[in-house]
Amino acid sequence: MGLRDNAIVAYAETKVMEKSDRDVWVLSGEILEDLLDKTGIDKNEIDGLVMAGLTGTGAGNPFWAQTTADVLGLEVGFCEQVHTGGCSAAGCVARAAAAIDYGMCEIAFLLFADTHVLEDHTDHSHSYRREWTDPYGLMGPPGAFGLLSRRYEAQYGLDYRMLGKLAVTQRNHALLNENACEKLRMPITIDDYMKSRMIADPIRLLDCVMRADGAAGLIMMSRKRAKQKGLTKTIIPIGYAERTNFKGGENLVDVTKSGHEICGKKALDAAGLASRDIASFHPYDDFIIAIMLQFEAFGFCKPGEGVQFIRDRDFSYNGDLPLNTGGGQISAGQAACSSHNLVEAVRQLQGEAGKRQVKDTRNALVTGIGWINYGRNWGSSAALVLVPE
Amino acid sequence: MAKALNDTVGVKRAIKHFDFSEPYWEGTKQKKLVIQYCKATGKYQHFPRPVSIFTGRRRDIEWREVSGKGVVFSYTVTHRGAPAFRGAEPYAVVSVTLDVGVNFIANIVNCTAAELKVGMKVKPYWHALDDGTHLMMFQPDNGPA
Repeated sequence: MGLRDNAIVAYAETKVMEKSDRDVWVLSGEILEDLLDKTGIDKNEIDGLVMAGLTGTGAGNPFWAQTTADVLGLEVGFCEQVHTGGCSAAGCVARAAAAIDYGMCEIAFLLFADTHVLEDHTDHSHSYRREWTDPYGLMGPPGAFGLLSRRYEAQYGLDYRMLGKLAVTQRNHALLNENACEKLRMPITIDDYMKSRMIADPIRLLDCVMRADGAAGLIMMSRKRAKQKGLTKTIIPIGYAERTNFKGGENLVDVTKSGHEICGKKALDAAGLASRDIASFHPYDDFIIAIMLQFEAFGFCKPGEGVQFIRDRDFSYNGDLPLNTGGGQISAGQAACSSHNLVEAVRQLQGEAGKRQVKDTRNALVTGIGWINYGRNWGSSAALVLVPE
Repeated sequence: MAKALNDTVGVKRAIKHFDFSEPYWEGTKQKKLVIQYCKATGKYQHFPRPVSIFTGRRRDIEWREVSGKGVVFSYTVTHRGAPAFRGAEPYAVVSVTLDVGVNFIANIVNCTAAELKVGMKVKPYWHALDDGTHLMMFQPDNGPA
């Protein structure tokens, strides 16, 4: 048994809301109901609950997954909350597969539900921030990415209009995604991007993700079980790796390099693929430049050549490297525990993406970025390769 | 054109210290920059940790005074700060590579937007806080070493 002996058999997703009009558990119930209806499985067959730990609403409750199991009436042999920040969604897939392999559960419900705009209990007070960045007014992720962007620019040069091209591509995809947050579903141009107001110079408003509310979920089981149940549109994880605290034992590092260099190679090797084989790319996007850094880290292009790569390629859903075809988080809204790009990849591989359906569904590469560390780039990196059965 | 950058010296700050950072804050009372040094590897680390990030051991840590001089590694200009910083925008936050090989994030004062560059030399500027400690900031270092 291994990762690729497991399958994602269904996805569900609410529309992304600027602010939820319903409690997070109501959204969770909607996802559960949708998944049961789609798969035909009985609620009592679910014996694994795997939740993303990246939740503002659940943050204050150390018993979040257990409480949620109780609220939804689930009795499980594996109850897990995954704490790798924005890598949690992809991390849930790997951990559910491991739990199924180990025999801790047979049918896992992966739940990504958060209403962090409506109700946020996030608390960063026991963190380096209180002594080492808050006193200087460094503004969390935008400040950190401001430092990262300026450093990249000093090392390699940076044509910000090419970051704008990525922003426009993703926005065009959100226009085709009815589940994207309505507030973001208006067209933008590269000039709009360039003129958007500075937040943490050189980070502009249109570089940034917008927090939003929503929920999503997946059902996973072994491939064998899926076949027995007659579930045919299954998606197989064939490569996964993550890296937390990349070069954490060093005192001075090149901040343009990330843990994606390690986990990307590991995940692609496990999948037997190279970056040139990737049919659609669904990278974590909290800031536009993170996408460019991932082109470099995953080997789509060489370090420092991200701008040229963006100039040369067409990232639209019908282009030569479809990118975040649901709009990415930046144009769909940062909701549902940052699971948007994962769910979009599953939808694409199942051929259910409607007007934005990609032609090549041989595989999809999904990534994660989680947490902001001191003066570097990010704390966790993840990579997940998916293929249809 | 040289656009003036605001400084943040007027911002009220009450900083809660981790107990393992106290030697750093003690040093700042005399405007001394005292950071952690790993005896086993001969390398510095910042921010303070309870163990050496190189060996994982508490006993390898000692505290050493350093010059605080360095070069700007990167910077960002904040256009909308946290509530305590409202009115001070736009202000710069710099990451500086100290001459002992660690990066230190802080504000910069006495510096225009036109002057501020990656690679520019800086030295400490000590901003007094109400509790008798000082907040380490940077300023351009135009003088001889």
